[in-house]
Amino acid sequence: MTENTGLVDTLEERQPYIARKQENGQIIPLACDNNSLAGAISQRACVYSGARVVLNPITDAIHLVHGPIGCAGYTWDIRGAKSSGVETNRSSFSTDMKELDVIFGGEDKLSNAIDELVGLYTPPVILVYSTCIVGVIGDDIEAVCKMASMKHNIPVIPVKSEGFKGNKSDGYKAACDALKQLIKRPQKEKTAENKPEISYEIMKPRINILGDFNVAGDVWLIKPLFEQMGIEVLVSLTGDSTVESISRASEADLNLVQCSGSMTYLAKWMQKEYGIPYLTVSFFGIEDISIALRKTAEYFGSEDIKEKAEEILEIETNRITPEISRVRERVKGKKAAIYMGGPAKALTLIKGFSELGMDVVIIGTQTGQKEDYEQISYSVRNGTVIVDDANPLELAELLVKQKADLMVAGVKERFIAYKLGVAFCDFNHDRVVKFEGFDGFVNFAREVDTSINSPVWKSIRQRVLKPETISSGKEAVKEKISEEPHAKEYKIMAVEPELLYLNIDVAAKNQISGEASR
Amino acid sequence: MTKRSYTTVNPCIMCQPMGSALAFKGIESTMVIYHGSQGCSTYMRLHLAHHFREPVDIASSSLSEKGAVYGGRENLKKGLRNVINRYQPRVIGVATTCLAETIGDDVPAIIREFKEEEEIGDDPKKDIIIIPVSTPSYGESHVSGYIKTLEAVVRNFAENQGKGRAIKIPNGKINLITVESLSPADVREIKEILEFTAENYIFLPDISETFDAPLRDDFPKIAPGGTLLSEIEDMPNSLASLGLGIVSKNLAMEFLEGNYSVPGHGVPIPIGLSNTDNFFTKLVNILSCSIPEKYQKERGRLLDAMVDVHKYLYGVKAAVYGDPDMVFSLTTFLLEIGMHPVLVATGSKSRDFGMKIRQIFKEIRPELEPVVLDGIDFDSLNDAVSNCSPDILIGNSNGRYIAKDRDIPLVRVGLPIHDRVGAQRILTVGYRGALELLDRITNAILEATDTFTSPVQAKPATYTSKVTEEECIEGMK
Repeated sequence: MTENTGLVDTLEERQPYIARKQENGQIIPLACDNNSLAGAISQRACVYSGARVVLNPITDAIHLVHGPIGCAGYTWDIRGAKSSGVETNRSSFSTDMKELDVIFGGEDKLSNAIDELVGLYTPPVILVYSTCIVGVIGDDIEAVCKMASMKHNIPVIPVKSEGFKGNKSDGYKAACDALKQLIKRPQKEKTAENKPEISYEIMKPRINILGDFNVAGDVWLIKPLFEQMGIEVLVSLTGDSTVESISRASEADLNLVQCSGSMTYLAKWMQKEYGIPYLTVSFFGIEDISIALRKTAEYFGSEDIKEKAEEILEIETNRITPEISRVRERVKGKKAAIYMGGPAKALTLIKGFSELGMDVVIIGTQTGQKEDYEQISYSVRNGTVIVDDANPLELAELLVKQKADLMVAGVKERFIAYKLGVAFCDFNHDRVVKFEGFDGFVNFAREVDTSINSPVWKSIRQRVLKPETISSGKEAVKEKISEEPHAKEYKIMAVEPELLYLNIDVAAKNQISGEASR
Repeated sequence: MTKRSYTTVNPCIMCQPMGSALAFKGIESTMVIYHGSQGCSTYMRLHLAHHFREPVDIASSSLSEKGAVYGGRENLKKGLRNVINRYQPRVIGVATTCLAETIGDDVPAIIREFKEEEEIGDDPKKDIIIIPVSTPSYGESHVSGYIKTLEAVVRNFAENQGKGRAIKIPNGKINLITVESLSPADVREIKEILEFTAENYIFLPDISETFDAPLRDDFPKIAPGGTLLSEIEDMPNSLASLGLGIVSKNLAMEFLEGNYSVPGHGVPIPIGLSNTDNFFTKLVNILSCSIPEKYQKERGRLLDAMVDVHKYLYGVKAAVYGDPDMVFSLTTFLLEIGMHPVLVATGSKSRDFGMKIRQIFKEIRPELEPVVLDGIDFDSLNDAVSNCSPDILIGNSNGRYIAKDRDIPLVRVGLPIHDRVGAQRILTVGYRGALELLDRITNAILEATDTFTSPVQAKPATYTSKVTEEECIEGMK
């Protein structure tokens, strides 16, 4: 049974986007993948933003925004994606269109800007993002880029990201279209039809990681795992990538897709174009990392690789388990709310939380599609509220109604949680701590612990000072600063970890078998 | 050397709609809707939330391709309806973005139509007041967006009230209108000064509560606080207006003077000794009162502190950047305390900026020759910093790359400050603000030069004359 009316007090048109899971195995029909409702205060950004967040981690590219100053200003170095080399991507380049450019067209300015930037920086590539206004005044940026490309003999790639032409997901696609142009055809022609027979027992297999943006340096915890398995990681798209490394992506034997929302499109294209199959994986949480490594080893079929994978998993899991168990004791039974941009992160967080003994009570995304929500509703326990394209008021009400102890989201949601006295963990651009890989999961667990168990939640319980409660005796004060976790009163809801694991196993198995049959 | 004419690298301004939201958020029970695509509101919410560390709700008419082609009329109306439904605001500010402006939507006409359809009148006591402001991103900067918005607000309320030109009912109040966003702490300080001097005052816009809200039992949809609507309505009846900022035009103040004969007095933002003196002088002249003892004492404390630190600061080369009026006032203070502002810059394009800055140099330290720049981005600021080699940077947090690169301290003031906490509590105005700023600047310099722990005078021989390890061991025997 779906109960999707009146769950929260919101606009009628928003009601179909919010539902509660009521029965085991139930798939909730949820409205999603639509344009945001005017005046509803969506947490989503625009097409340009989608394109920018995907491409921005390319470290040596010049990211030139063709539009008024705002678009470039608000996206200046917001990604938190680390580079091991140059950091050209951390600067914000804009044509800073003014009124006259809007009236007379901005093509000349763009062309001149490209010339200028090539002269000053000699970049290996310039990515030219179009913004709302470019789409309206009709600047032919494709033509300008083509001319510039010929003139300077470097790729100058238009990213068709006019803000109003769709939503963030369309921006992901625009970014992938740009990436396609950076990936060069390999020396030895390799297509789906004539895939050479290679034995991975002899040759070192090569992979790409798609949809890892190296926020806080995540990729640096993942690459070594594969290297230890004897697998070469050619490039991670786009975290810590360079134009040169991206150009070689077509030489890979396998693509691992993490951020499926943004990169599945590219992975499918690479499969068609270069015969590179892909697996959807996640590098967050012990279970998902294990699945990722095993699936990869399984794919290459080499006993040596499989053995190494098991060896790594055993050593690493044993290494971090004591710390995870310690945290688990401190946070188990707590309720988590997840609100993410993409569905992949949301899904993997469900498992991450169950590894910490926590329950997910709210889960939502900005850009989830039908299949994503199906998988999400499969993976969560009964009673969980699932929401698409939520707005601040809905999130606030849900946090209270679902009695969440912790929220995982980005900056805009952080202060909603804080105002409500709910702990918070940033899993967006803003974090400075790695969350992927084994050590990353330890970092995550510790952050969850430090936020949930901070004494500030006890201190802020009494928001208005009532002297009588302080002066009425020492007991009152003592009780106020007792060592019990803050959300004591929320502990009523029964914890059934078995159920949670069961669902997840099914979901994971489904995923594996789904991949294999591809 | 990066001489650029077509590209902006690392902008030192934000766009007009953001300035507009900053101003609207200082008005009681106000929601803002951007007429444009969805991204604008999200980015600016992020930008402001990051700075103030508060939830910032800004709606969007979420224009799609269809809206861009056929006009955004229906989207905007729907947006307004939904905002009213969910937030029950008393005022809705409608700021346009470049998209809405370029597709040529007549926003005031759409609003008129909407008001007719929804039977919304013009009485702020019972009707929702909808105020449009034209703020395309391709025009000027957030500073102009802020100024335009305040003018639109004052004009809207005055004209609604003054239909048929009601006779002025003098209220004995003083209007305080700023041209740039001050921090919530600054607003609180100025309001406190007014509490002690003027009996009645109207501060526009008042972000002291809305962008620095106390944690409370409930979670109101719109942060309480802001300038009361009844007060905005009352502004044409005031004794006089005191405008903070003299580089940018204070359009709201000019409007009140031009249309309602409320005399307007522009003073620099009261940062530093002479600017605060100036502010108090103007204030007591208008009110014909005396300066409260409390502020004489604060002034005395500032003087005392200036004497205490003068040696640390004399001749220290500073680069100061940010919004024009704040930079003007900061520069004045730096000159007063003996520092040498070698580079004075603003991201806004302003003809008056250079003139006013040179004027203040001429008044206080005519022998100094500053580099004065307007319309800069951080890349050109970086070049200028390379030429001028300042010892310290003073400005918003976007200068951190330059400061880090050159290993010089950055004293954070202005907006945005995204990499440190407490932006909403940075106090720079009044004697207390000057005192705090003075301490921060001095301590930053002391931290960098470490005057205390590495004695600069004659170093004791034991610290300087190198002794080999062998000699040491030898000596110990």
